[in-house]
Amino acid sequence: MNAPERTASFLLDEDNGEMKIVYTADTKIANSGTFRFNREDHTVANLFRMQLLRDNSVRFAGYFHPHPLLNYIDLKIQTNSSTVAPIEVLSAAIEDLSNETDHLISQVTDSIEEWRKQNDAGAISQF
Amino acid sequence: MPNQRFPKIKILHVSPHEIKFILSETDVSMANTVRRIMIAEVPTLAIDLVEFHDNSTVLNDEYIAHRLGLIPIRYQPPDSIKGGDCHGAFLPHRECVCYERCPRCSVEFELDVEFDAAMRHSMALNEETDVLAPLTVTSRDLRSNNESVHPAHFLHNEQDESQDDGIAIVKMGGGQKLKLKAIARMGISKEHAKWCPVAVATYRFWPDIIINEEQVATLTMEQKQELVDICPDRILEIDPVTGMLQAVEGAWDMATYTEDLKFCQDALKKRPEDDDFVRVEPSKDKFIFSVETTGCMDADEVLLSALRVLKNRLNYLAQEVENLKETQ
Ligand SMILES: [Zn+2]
Repeated sequence: MNAPERTASFLLDEDNGEMKIVYTADTKIANSGTFRFNREDHTVANLFRMQLLRDNSVRFAGYFHPHPLLNYIDLKIQTNSSTVAPIEVLSAAIEDLSNETDHLISQVTDSIEEWRKQNDAGAISQF
Repeated sequence: MPNQRFPKIKILHVSPHEIKFILSETDVSMANTVRRIMIAEVPTLAIDLVEFHDNSTVLNDEYIAHRLGLIPIRYQPPDSIKGGDCHGAFLPHRECVCYERCPRCSVEFELDVEFDAAMRHSMALNEETDVLAPLTVTSRDLRSNNESVHPAHFLHNEQDESQDDGIAIVKMGGGQKLKLKAIARMGISKEHAKWCPVAVATYRFWPDIIINEEQVATLTMEQKQELVDICPDRILEIDPVTGMLQAVEGAWDMATYTEDLKFCQDALKKRPEDDDFVRVEPSKDKFIFSVETTGCMDADEVLLSALRVLKNRLNYLAQEVENLKETQ
């Protein structure tokens, strides 16, 4: 009866003007702000957090998923200096991860091909 | 960009229903993301809508609809022997422009089975055949309207052992009938677990076996042998030539339980604060993955599809971040 729509965890509510990312600058801490990613979960949030922490210009990066029924995550970023905005480091982190994924795709394709070459005899006997 | 990593993949085993590989030179966040996407975000086909025309079986319509939903549906592209990624071949039905459904966003199955005692009688091989034995309706009775899409069944090499007749849907008695039309759609298992392409998708940490040579040198041969024997996984051995303690070949695959080793070496230490002789620690950047599919697509395709999903998501989010920059 009161179960949420099953698609609510991944479909953006565009009819009500929901944005994918909403940024709120921190009013008390300098060079700091929170990104709310709507309809996202640990899958990308933890990936972003860990990637941001490898960046030397990031002082703090952490995320918060308040409740399993709330389909957003809050990612908080603080940078070292006013010359680098939180959105810049986030942008760089996503680009790095995107390149890493590209690299992974070619790694997987190549290594499966290589494995098949080495195990050709085994593969034929299966069919 | 300065912080990019270049992970490595080493394949241990690939078969249509299973893939084992080692992911290294990245961290646990990437490993866990890949695992989570394989489980919850790889698109597959599953029966989502069922129209009942006739059902006089003992199971009610909802029950049968649920059972149909759970049957893995395999998409095998034309000229391929592999269960492929249905992303690209089909559209998610919410994104399709059609009014209700069309071949771009759905596949129709028809099922029409009747327990006809007279016909069974005429087909009976001999007097002893029980013509009134229950008839099992299975996934093999589903007729697809798309050549490339069928319910998943056992692979041929497994079939000899299992005598696979398809996945049971309902058993029928005399005079009962089941006629329905089932519509399969593409979806992800965040919406419902029936769209999950994998039965198992796990990783474990690579065990780093670190032997402190200096400490081990203080042990007698008998004490070294004690360490070798105490480990139930037999991950250690003594080199017959040099008498050195070392990890056996393939120890990474066997090392699961190392508590006994810990207790044993604590007892062997001269002082409790001494360094360990042997330490087994989970690696921070190397992961052993094991993925088994439900049969809806090949295991290597699940992995590749998961990575493509991640790639698309990151591109989308990168674009959204760019849009955000402009509005600020
Ligand atoms: Zn359509």
